[in-house]
Amino acid sequence: MNPDTTPNPRPCEDGQGVLAPCSPLAVPNVPFQQKGSQKYEQSEALANGTLFPGLDLPFHLKAKAASVPEGAAAELQALCFVITELGLYLDTHQDDQEAVQLFQQYTRLAEEGKRRYEAMYGPLTQRSAIQNGRYVWLNDPWPWEYRKEGGNK
Amino acid sequence: MFVYEKKLQYPVKIKNCNPKLAAAIISQYGGPDGELGASLRYLSQRYSMPYPELKGLLTDIGTEELGHLEMIGAIVHQLTRKLSDEQIKTAGFDTYFVDHTAGVYPTAASGWPYNAASMAVKGDVICDLTEDLAAEQKARVTYDNILRLSDDPDVNDVIRFLREREIVHFQRFGEAIELAKQRMNQKNVYYMNPAFDR
Repeated sequence: MNPDTTPNPRPCEDGQGVLAPCSPLAVPNVPFQQKGSQKYEQSEALANGTLFPGLDLPFHLKAKAASVPEGAAAELQALCFVITELGLYLDTHQDDQEAVQLFQQYTRLAEEGKRRYEAMYGPLTQRSAIQNGRYVWLNDPWPWEYRKEGGNK
Repeated sequence: MFVYEKKLQYPVKIKNCNPKLAAAIISQYGGPDGELGASLRYLSQRYSMPYPELKGLLTDIGTEELGHLEMIGAIVHQLTRKLSDEQIKTAGFDTYFVDHTAGVYPTAASGWPYNAASMAVKGDVICDLTEDLAAEQKARVTYDNILRLSDDPDVNDVIRFLREREIVHFQRFGEAIELAKQRMNQKNVYYMNPAFDR
């Protein structure tokens, strides 16, 4: 049902989208993002705030990412971010099979990532709050607290 | 229901305190175009949405906005930790300090406490989604303005991320209107309100 189900999956350039040739008057009309749009890899996606170079439209001030976030926490954040971003994309492109497969790959990677992270830094959810028979949910740091490196940041 | 994950969506690590900047950024916590209003707007609008892709999108973006609320809270908290007696007198922060000390309170930078009058739930598909397009633009401009006010790279790195999310959300809401349109009367999309008229 998306307007981009034409034989050529990408009739427009990457930073552009598809508009229905005829469309009801007096309703907002935003171009549909095309299937097969270019994608950043996960840490670049997190650093730029989007998975899609075509949607990466920075402000003229501080246009470049200060740095790509590093560390075990940032690795997990990058995996989870791609899932969030692809999830929103799939909400409006549910028949994009390439995105469905990518979503599955990333959910698997994020599950592994969460296990690694929890073993190193403690529980991510209260459900995994017991480690070695102890209730470790309350351990600092909490996510909003300043820490130079590592931990729950 | 919601389950808390003990991590932020994007890292917030702000080395230097800056109460004056915190007093501006608090607007994205409880101001007219802030993340609290964003999450409440989307999570409330979804109840009257008639189509699955709209219920899903409003749930998912509303949930992400709650994560952004937490990030803004983290920025304000880190910018105001361990303030000196001199720092609490900083012009712009002193009026916030007298009411909230170094707590994080949902208010606009101009001093108005969070007010649901800055958001709308109209119970109409095109109306609510058009409101959402505007909301994303207003939040984007607020982040532009924060980038104009701030010269702290640790803060700007996070603000850039949040600003870009507004652009992506705008795109998805635009696509959602397109999907909704396709399900409506093609001769007159205003013939009825599919969120109310069955």
